[in-house]
Amino acid sequence: MPAVPSEGDLVVVSNLRKTYGATVAVDDVSLTVRPGEIFGILGPNGAGKTTTVESIAGLRTPDAGTVRVAGLDPRKRRTEITSLIGVQLQASELPERIKAREALELYASFYPDPADPAKLLEQLGLTKVQETAFAKLSGGQKQRLSIALALVGQPKIAILDELTTGLDPQARRDTWELVKQIRDSGVTIILVTHFMEEAEYLCDRIAIIDNGVVVALDTPGGLVDSARPEQRISFKFAGELDAAVLTALPAVRSVARDGDRIVVTGNDDLLVEVVVELAGRGQPPRDVQTEKTTLDDAFLALAGRNLEGADR
Amino acid sequence: MSQTLALTRIESKLFVREWTGLFFVFVLPIGLLTIFALMDDGSAPTDGIPASFLPTMAIGIGIGILGMATLPMILAGYREKGILRRMSTTPVRPVKLLVAQLLVHLAAGIVVVALIVGLGALVFGFELPGSPVPFVLSALLYTIAQLAIGVLIAGLIRTAKAASIVGNILFFPSMFFAGVWTPGDLMPESLRWLRDITPMGAGMTSLQESWAGQWPSLIHFAALIAVTIACVALAARFFRWE
Repeated sequence: MPAVPSEGDLVVVSNLRKTYGATVAVDDVSLTVRPGEIFGILGPNGAGKTTTVESIAGLRTPDAGTVRVAGLDPRKRRTEITSLIGVQLQASELPERIKAREALELYASFYPDPADPAKLLEQLGLTKVQETAFAKLSGGQKQRLSIALALVGQPKIAILDELTTGLDPQARRDTWELVKQIRDSGVTIILVTHFMEEAEYLCDRIAIIDNGVVVALDTPGGLVDSARPEQRISFKFAGELDAAVLTALPAVRSVARDGDRIVVTGNDDLLVEVVVELAGRGQPPRDVQTEKTTLDDAFLALAGRNLEGADR
Repeated sequence: MSQTLALTRIESKLFVREWTGLFFVFVLPIGLLTIFALMDDGSAPTDGIPASFLPTMAIGIGIGILGMATLPMILAGYREKGILRRMSTTPVRPVKLLVAQLLVHLAAGIVVVALIVGLGALVFGFELPGSPVPFVLSALLYTIAQLAIGVLIAGLIRTAKAASIVGNILFFPSMFFAGVWTPGDLMPESLRWLRDITPMGAGMTSLQESWAGQWPSLIHFAALIAVTIACVALAARFFRWE
């Protein structure tokens, strides 16, 4: 999908390509990130997500294509870029015995205009464990410390790579709220994830990457719509139903029977038309269920398989 | 500069918190010094072993562990765990972490020398080094050579575990060639040239000679400087931050 960069774009990636030996990590990726948004990069393991964000952070030299962050080449302008982008890397640790507070104060000393470490610890709910060694922190606490380190330089952009992998559901939810707060404080966020739910909940726009190419780039709603442009409802019905009654309705496209349920598909007016029609006949449908199309469905439709890699 | 200082401060705290490292670097040499000093009641023949052999062996081993074990393990571990990589996303250049580690290890080396010389004089009645300036110079050149070896190991070996294995494999022949088991005239004459030029041997021998009040022979210094230059050159070629 060709990205058309516009004036205010903070990150512009054009036709990025990166190979490691014979392995093509990123084949052809173009995307733009706008200021103030949470931009999701979604895809299965090995799709090229991490290589893409590492190129944005200037940790990798592209084989082809260009990356610009605030108009700068991230490989060449290290000093500006490292202050502009805060990075939370997948699989990067701290020394076992460093205390949370020490780590944050140390990283603060690296930046020209750092945030107040004590305030940041408080914001991220780490004040109680600030004297705890890194190795003794829980998974969620390590993750929050990692976010704190990404934010301590007061960056314009935060790259969060597989932020909630390995966290329990509660810690994951808490982290999501935190990410929203960070965005609300004015930081643009690039979020790498392979969790559909996470991308759907957090992201303003999502690039779906598969096999090193962007297969779709849109809002979560837009992706869902493009994946299944029709509504689907099902219900139980007392007595015999003449399918022709429903197919006569303008919103209805198809009618089918699934066990003891009737399944009807059609456009956005489907639910209202069906319920009004049947209620008008004195036989209202019972146990009406509307089926929501999810990003999972969207990914399946776009990439031809689900995120775990199973074929359609 | 303030970045290097902040790093050095934190790295020295972390160094002090790692008790296994502390044991091998400080406690082991002091233990060896104590045991052998207590065993020696002056009745056994000296076999040409200089009185300064015991304290300089302790120093040689302590500093050898700093260079061949703790430094490469820390550096390889930092790379293995992505700590260096994480740091390279900040404005700080990772070479400052290397500088901080070298400063911490150099300081630890000075502490080893001070502890052995001090305890030797105060507790076991050893004389102080007879030629202080050559002694300090020997200690410094030996420490720098060992640290250069450590950086080279970390440059060639990818993981902390493998680095510690390589360090150990190097450590025992180093002690052998340094004459730890065959001190003084006990070492066969055909092997003594190795003692003169292997890093631990050159370091211990020059420390012994200066402790005894002489200027050490220049071949030891030359050997230590040659090892340092070779290791630094190779490390610069092979060391990877990630």
